[in-house]
Amino acid sequence: MLIDKERAGAYVLEQRYPLPLSSAMPDVWELWRRAKTLEWDPQTDIPWEELHPECYRAEQLLAAQMYWSRRTWGEYGAISESPALLLRFCLERQLPDLQFFFTMRTMEEGRHAEASWLMAERLGRYFPQPQNPPTAGAVGTHGVRRMAFDPETSLEGIFASLVCAAEEILIDVFKATVHKATNPAVRRLMELILRDEVRHIAFGWQCLDAWAPSFTPATVRNIEAAVITMIENVEFRGYRNLWLAIEGGSATPAEIDADRISCEAGLGGNTPEDEMRVFPDFLKKIRTRMAPWGVSIPVFDHPRLGKV
Amino acid sequence: MSETGEHATRLLRAYQAQEKRFVERRFPLEFATEVPALRELYSQSKGLHWNPETDIAWDRFDPSRYDKTTRQAASRTWSRRAWSVYPGLTESTALLIRFCLESGSLGMDAKLFLSFRPAEEAKHLEVCHMLAERLGGYEADPGEAGLARISNHPFGQAALDGDLPVEAYIAALGALDDQLDFNLYVCHLQQAKDEVVRAALRLIAGDRARHVAFAWAFLGSRVPTLDAHSRAAVIAAVSDMLGNVILAGYRNAWLLPEKSREPWLAAEAETARHGLGASTPAQERGVLRATITQVRERLAAWKLDLPRVEHAELGTV
Repeated sequence: MLIDKERAGAYVLEQRYPLPLSSAMPDVWELWRRAKTLEWDPQTDIPWEELHPECYRAEQLLAAQMYWSRRTWGEYGAISESPALLLRFCLERQLPDLQFFFTMRTMEEGRHAEASWLMAERLGRYFPQPQNPPTAGAVGTHGVRRMAFDPETSLEGIFASLVCAAEEILIDVFKATVHKATNPAVRRLMELILRDEVRHIAFGWQCLDAWAPSFTPATVRNIEAAVITMIENVEFRGYRNLWLAIEGGSATPAEIDADRISCEAGLGGNTPEDEMRVFPDFLKKIRTRMAPWGVSIPVFDHPRLGKV
Repeated sequence: MSETGEHATRLLRAYQAQEKRFVERRFPLEFATEVPALRELYSQSKGLHWNPETDIAWDRFDPSRYDKTTRQAASRTWSRRAWSVYPGLTESTALLIRFCLESGSLGMDAKLFLSFRPAEEAKHLEVCHMLAERLGGYEADPGEAGLARISNHPFGQAALDGDLPVEAYIAALGALDDQLDFNLYVCHLQQAKDEVVRAALRLIAGDRARHVAFAWAFLGSRVPTLDAHSRAAVIAAVSDMLGNVILAGYRNAWLLPEKSREPWLAAEAETARHGLGASTPAQERGVLRATITQVRERLAAWKLDLPRVEHAELGTV
């Protein structure tokens, strides 16, 4: 049953030895060390008693429930998809620092998913799916698992697209809007997620900076293609914010407007004006940050953001 | 491409092919508790987290109390323990992905629990490494083909094998192997005299107890609903694990082939003698027999009959 297939050669055996365990990337090791000291529990470390959903109008609660439900679906991707990257690190025998750190990342993303679900629930209701199922394509997956298992897709490309693009914009928006979350429970949750995500992003940039001297022209093209795909096929399809979906998908007006209404109620989320301000700055930032590696991120044309 | 690179490519392609056999249905994505015992274990993981660097009083660890031979033996024992912990990173991660691919919108209790397990395995790995380093130096390679072969099984790929029911996988790896592993840690803890080593073993055993509890609670929620084919797969996988993996020396040095045993057995004997985190073969033999009995009895509660296995040294177990 287990061993028959192994003996028949149906599985490929790993080459485990030598198995180095000492740190070789001190900056990444430091992130692993910090992660261990900053663990938190969504059930006990958020002042839920200060949530007071009864203080909000039904329209505001509905919007916040939608916003936090969609965040839950997005965070779930980090349980379902990005752990494949840890497998890849192990199979490719990447440095132990990467392997150690990524175990904590998987755990932290699980915590974010649980926390986002709890927030929706405690605001009155968690929605287990979009109002019109086709939206699921946009909000459901960023495709990282498939990329991680694909030896043709470079690790550098995955890091650049998942960490330095998708997670970076998520956190830029969080940073730019956390002050608008006037509800103490919501704000604390956003702060705790932000604290973890800052480490996740630092991990991506630190790895890419360390690897940059060995980038080949093919690596650079791979990074460019992966980032463009993440912007055009994930961000501009509304994975994080439905307002950004170029074709609108099948999201309902209520879903598209939920982020704004929730944000204006102080319950988390952001407004189109926030996106108009933060998204171009984010693109400028990663363009500048990746330029020394020889990576060129093009200008994107978006119907609402314009040329960014 | 280097030899390592070519091999990694083969491995990735194998995982890629397995992943493609599943069709993930993500919505509706339910988060509410389905199996309270599993959700409770997840809650305990969050509440009982610990840090290898700060929750063990390393400043009280004085390797100079032990002579060089003892330190070398103990560092070898803890190096070997690190090698046996390491596969947990891939296996538990692959199992998490399997749950996500297969369970669709359900099974969140197990997914949340498994999202924590790789980090717990990494902490155990760090402890083993820190102890080996402090005792004289972690060895990155067994340098002995027998142990290297017997300690290396592709269980990560098995976790993603759609032909193997997930219940069978968890019965073999969780209910049997994790149970034996946990029972051995408890035995080492009972024998350990050094207070720092005892603290390390106690912390690891605490997590391992949850891992075992997860396996039994999961099986308890699933086995009663399995059809005859899947029930047979559960027994076949556990028998296979016992006869071809455990009894071949996967967890116990004294079960390794004769020519591979000596360096590890000698190291463990010396480590055990000085209370630095090992047990004698006689003690381990008792743990193994007790574990097999325990697993057989628990499976029997679901009318799953684990066949007896013949072993050249142990007889019928």
